[in-house]
Amino acid sequence: MEPGEARAWLVAKKEIIANVRNFRAPIALVTMTLLLLLSANALAFNYRNRLNNWSINQDRQRDTAVVGGVRYDLFDGSFFYGVAFGHAPPIHPPRPFSALVKGMDGDVDRTVSIGQRIVFGARQGEPATSGIFDIPDTSFILKLLVSLFALMLSLDTVTREKESGTLKAMLSQPIRRRELILCKSLGASISLLASFAIAYFVEIIYLYLAYGLPGDREDLVRAILVFGLASIYGIVFVHIGLFISTITAQTKIAVTTALLTWATIVLILPNVAVLMAKLLTPTPSYNQLNARLYEARNRILQESSGDNPTTRSLPEGPGSRQALPRLFEIERRTMDNYLAGKREQNRQARLFAALSPAGALTFGLSDLAGTGVDAYNSYLEFSRSGRDIMIDALERRLDLPPQAGDKLVQEASEKVANRQWRTESLGACLRSSVISITSLLAWAVFFGLAACWRFKRYDVR
Amino acid sequence: MFLTILRRELQETFTGSTFLSTLVVLTILVPLSAYIQARHYQRMVEDYALRQSIHQTQNSSQTIALIRPLPPLLPFFNGAYDSLSDEFRLRNDSATANTPSGDLMPLDALFPKIDLSFIVGVLMTLLTILLAHGIIAGDREQGGLKLILAGPIQRRAVLAAKLTGVILPMAVILIYVVSLYATVVAVSSGGTVDVSAANLGALASFTLVALIVLMVIASLGVAISASVRRSSVSLFVCASIWIAAILIWPSLGPYIASSLKTVSTLEAAQREIALKEKELILEELVEHRRTAADLKAQKIGVEYAWQRYLELRRRWIERRNGEIGRLVSERKQQVRDQQALARRISLFSPYAAFTEVLGSLCGTGLESYDEFHAMVERYRQQEFIPKGFDLLSRQRPWLKAVNPDAGLQLRPLQAHSPALSRRLAAAAWPLSILIAEMIVLMIVGALGFERYDVR
Repeated sequence: MEPGEARAWLVAKKEIIANVRNFRAPIALVTMTLLLLLSANALAFNYRNRLNNWSINQDRQRDTAVVGGVRYDLFDGSFFYGVAFGHAPPIHPPRPFSALVKGMDGDVDRTVSIGQRIVFGARQGEPATSGIFDIPDTSFILKLLVSLFALMLSLDTVTREKESGTLKAMLSQPIRRRELILCKSLGASISLLASFAIAYFVEIIYLYLAYGLPGDREDLVRAILVFGLASIYGIVFVHIGLFISTITAQTKIAVTTALLTWATIVLILPNVAVLMAKLLTPTPSYNQLNARLYEARNRILQESSGDNPTTRSLPEGPGSRQALPRLFEIERRTMDNYLAGKREQNRQARLFAALSPAGALTFGLSDLAGTGVDAYNSYLEFSRSGRDIMIDALERRLDLPPQAGDKLVQEASEKVANRQWRTESLGACLRSSVISITSLLAWAVFFGLAACWRFKRYDVR
Repeated sequence: MFLTILRRELQETFTGSTFLSTLVVLTILVPLSAYIQARHYQRMVEDYALRQSIHQTQNSSQTIALIRPLPPLLPFFNGAYDSLSDEFRLRNDSATANTPSGDLMPLDALFPKIDLSFIVGVLMTLLTILLAHGIIAGDREQGGLKLILAGPIQRRAVLAAKLTGVILPMAVILIYVVSLYATVVAVSSGGTVDVSAANLGALASFTLVALIVLMVIASLGVAISASVRRSSVSLFVCASIWIAAILIWPSLGPYIASSLKTVSTLEAAQREIALKEKELILEELVEHRRTAADLKAQKIGVEYAWQRYLELRRRWIERRNGEIGRLVSERKQQVRDQQALARRISLFSPYAAFTEVLGSLCGTGLESYDEFHAMVERYRQQEFIPKGFDLLSRQRPWLKAVNPDAGLQLRPLQAHSPALSRRLAAAAWPLSILIAEMIVLMIVGALGFERYDVR
């Protein structure tokens, strides 16, 4: 080993020993392990419930529908009593990896019935307070704790040595300031990542033993990728901590500044990014969409049967031949606009949020897990294409005799029911998380350089 | 002496960088979130009337749709409103209430909405900790504490002065934030937010409860500051408790409750109900078939047959309502028990207790949702079923009437918004927990400071 390298390693080692001695790394390890296990247990339980729910839904698809009627046929008139009790709409199976990173899976996990319109049912297994508080999955715990402990481990590296007077002695050695700060970053990163790695893999092993998750090799790769991305995120915050340490003179001030910075980056910036996306692409609510469609439908009905404006159903005969295609067209266009708006909103939110480290982490992890924006958008696209098949069949039915037409529609709905929405492949997941990974790497480099630059001018007295 | 200490604390706070930088962040964030919430609310109000009129024309003697009334203070606290369905389709012959559709809100799953409750419950509590963590330990480090205590003053009074020195600036910021938020909402919602005395009263109670929450956190900071020697340790402990209590515990609570008290999944419950319904429907059909055959054999006129038919219908509607209603309410009770447990678990967190109180105050909590459910059920029993059946019995389907459902006149679902005192009374439990926490923490702080080593 070269003498320079040996000295660099010595600085890093000293940093690690200091972090173990003042109990910060052990505290980080214990806290992360406990909370990750708690969250893994809660979310894995939730996943098992949702899986159960899905398999019951599959059974319900095979339950018989009840259709029947009785004609009261009397000599001076007749009336009819009819009932129909149909099938339950299907739901999509939950992704196994959502036990770690739930992402948008809770919003996919709902009944979807596809006809000329797509109707999304209620959410299945989420607590009602999920709109107020975050979902406590691994991604959320990592977002909070990895960043916080990274700051705690690194933010007094410079001020502590200055306060104890060892900084002067160290700088009198033949070592560059730049090298010194990078070695300190190395030491803090190693102590963070070591405790994080232990906590995280304990969680994965626990999940595997208790719940059989992650089930296949692909999920295992995902788990490792999640670890990788969260590690880069940790390093970003180590560098932020070093930077704060180099711009403050006292540990006390450094700690307060760090906590404020942490809250801004982790709690405020990503949420503001989502707010901005909502502001830039406003979308109507689903019920508002229904109201608009209803109005359009009434308008068409009135135009096609001007004599009877209170008609509720479409007219039989030649009138419907012209009215129905127009109606389908409006349904198709309105729904497409709505879905396109939602997709655009998701994409924008990801783009804006990826500019800040915590947003990049949340979106990046959900992308890697296959529960992110791209997976959700492909789910919307999947529902849309099913709707297209249905409308196509309904339009073609108009030109066919009734029985052949009904058969056609029946076939189309079977075709729609038998399609499977596939998870994005691992490669696609990696591609969609590129922007988050790039952003995190850029932040890590930026704050590393900023810390070096500030430390050059640091007053060691 | 008390006032001198207080003045010094205030001076330090108001000129500190923490205070100023937070003020800048809040001044940007508050109008932004208020604007988004207000616009969202405006759209909801505008479409509410449209949806209502559509349902009026779609309602029939068999099925009607009801919309949940909009809580007037929705822009201030979203609560559980958006994650629960706001439309119900009722049928006269079954106690199941179908939700036609829910909205797509994938982004809210990743990042919950920022509204006034988040700003107060998360950001301002953090600021309180930053202001409170060093007031004893930090003063000791600088050596000021010794000098203060050398003067003719009791330790208790010093502690009270320092606590007031944290709470007063927080109250100032709170009033600033609430009034800024309220102004932006009032201005940008296009007049849809009702500026009435009741709503202003609710908003004032909102502020008061928020102040209590901040006082709890301030007392926590003081109690910890008075029991450790270094301010950096104090901040470390405070921040850990804050993260655990404010950020993690309210999220985990419901999940822990659902693994402690399991209920059947939604699909399982619905399947059970559906199977029962189908069974009843088939039985009813058999009876109709028999009756129809009997009547035909006896050569009875259609007018009398219709009366027999109505009698049969009424009997079966009652039976199905009874049996399905029992299943539905059993399931509802299970879910309610689970939710009650989840709320009890979460209540340890001041933030969760705060949202509980706000839920009752703003009408966006789970309790008001349950109330709405009960109201819908009463409406179905007392209004929709009798009138729907009445309409059915006046019909003469064999005469080929043009529009059989035109005569359905239902009184609109009256949303009674309870008085402010009742709403506060509903929140008595979380409110008293908050106050108890505050008192306990203050006592702990006072006791800790009595034996604090000032060297």
